[in-house]
Amino acid sequence: MSSPAAELHQMAAIGRLLASVVHEINTPLGAIFSNTEVIVRSLELMQPLLADGSPEALEKAGRLAATCQNLAAVDRIACERIRSIIRGLKTLSRTDAGEPRRTDLNRLVLDTLKLTEAEFGRRISVETELGELPEVECYPQLLAQVLLNLLVNAGQAIEGEGVIRVTTGIEDGAVHIAVADSGRGMSPEEQARAFRAGFTTKPVGEGAGMGLAISREIVEETHGGAIGFESQPGKGATFHVRIPLRQTRRMGV
Amino acid sequence: MSQRRQPTVLIVDDEEMVITSIRAFLQLETDFTVHGFTDPEEAARFAAANPVDVAVSDYLMPKMNGIQLLTRIKELQPEASRVLLTGHADKQSAIQAINQVALFQYLEKPWDNAQLLLVIRSGAERAELYRELRDKVEALDGANSRLKTVQRRLIEAFL
Repeated sequence: MSSPAAELHQMAAIGRLLASVVHEINTPLGAIFSNTEVIVRSLELMQPLLADGSPEALEKAGRLAATCQNLAAVDRIACERIRSIIRGLKTLSRTDAGEPRRTDLNRLVLDTLKLTEAEFGRRISVETELGELPEVECYPQLLAQVLLNLLVNAGQAIEGEGVIRVTTGIEDGAVHIAVADSGRGMSPEEQARAFRAGFTTKPVGEGAGMGLAISREIVEETHGGAIGFESQPGKGATFHVRIPLRQTRRMGV
Repeated sequence: MSQRRQPTVLIVDDEEMVITSIRAFLQLETDFTVHGFTDPEEAARFAAANPVDVAVSDYLMPKMNGIQLLTRIKELQPEASRVLLTGHADKQSAIQAINQVALFQYLEKPWDNAQLLLVIRSGAERAELYRELRDKVEALDGANSRLKTVQRRLIEAFL
């Protein structure tokens, strides 16, 4: 994956994603900043109250302590939120293919979904049905990129509210990952050109139309698998990715 | 300005943690009345029935976005100061908000408490001034029409 077009595409996808990740991180970050200040201020106010020692002063100090506890609990939730976003980002952080690794593809699906959560918000509900999978030798960063691309496409195909369904399982000696959306679907012309480089239905600036071409390269050339889809206009689309359990090709990019 | 009520601040964000944090801060630093809503429709219902001095709203929320909510609040409470607090560092939404709802302030997450307090304080003052101005204009209108009646009577008495 070193062609300039592929690199550009990857940068554009990561740029878009980062914008929504930034939004998702700024909310808990704002809460943590604010709470830390309020806790420090409360502790300052508490000192003279405790020194005073009168029942009213102690009661006030108790209320301040309760506020601090409450805010510390909020901070913990906020930190956990940020941590889970960063865990998702790590999957994509390396721009090269990295080394082939035995990978739990269900884990990869879940980590990638963490990233799109921010972009989908409450507009799109994501359902998963993950079958039991053995670890598979693959390039996890590249496959994460494929999944991310399919998920982002699925999200963009949905106008307003909708559902994306991700299923995994084993089928004929391969891991089968399906990403189905309830979006607008594809016309026969769009279907014929879907995997062609430069094809896009998105407005200028939203995509260069390289996603599926690159996904096919990653799945079929690099992993000896298969990628395909079925779709009807108005009835959504389902993309299928198949990665052989035993790599027949020598891993190498 | 004898028995002035405490300013009422509305905080609307689909993230509970934002409301909890800002409420705790305002309760510590001010004696403002704070109402928090995770559902923008509920916030709009509140504003339809209660006075609001400052409305602080998130941008991206389900059902209704922050600009739609603040537009609604502008219709319900023209004097209220409207503040958009967003993590979505998106110039487009900022420009749209400022033009569409005559926004008082546009703040970005993560927010700075000192700045937020300054914005809410001056927003409350501005709302109060608007109300006073409206009351004075009404008083002036009343006085003016009374004056006209007196004038008419005087003319009638002389003719």
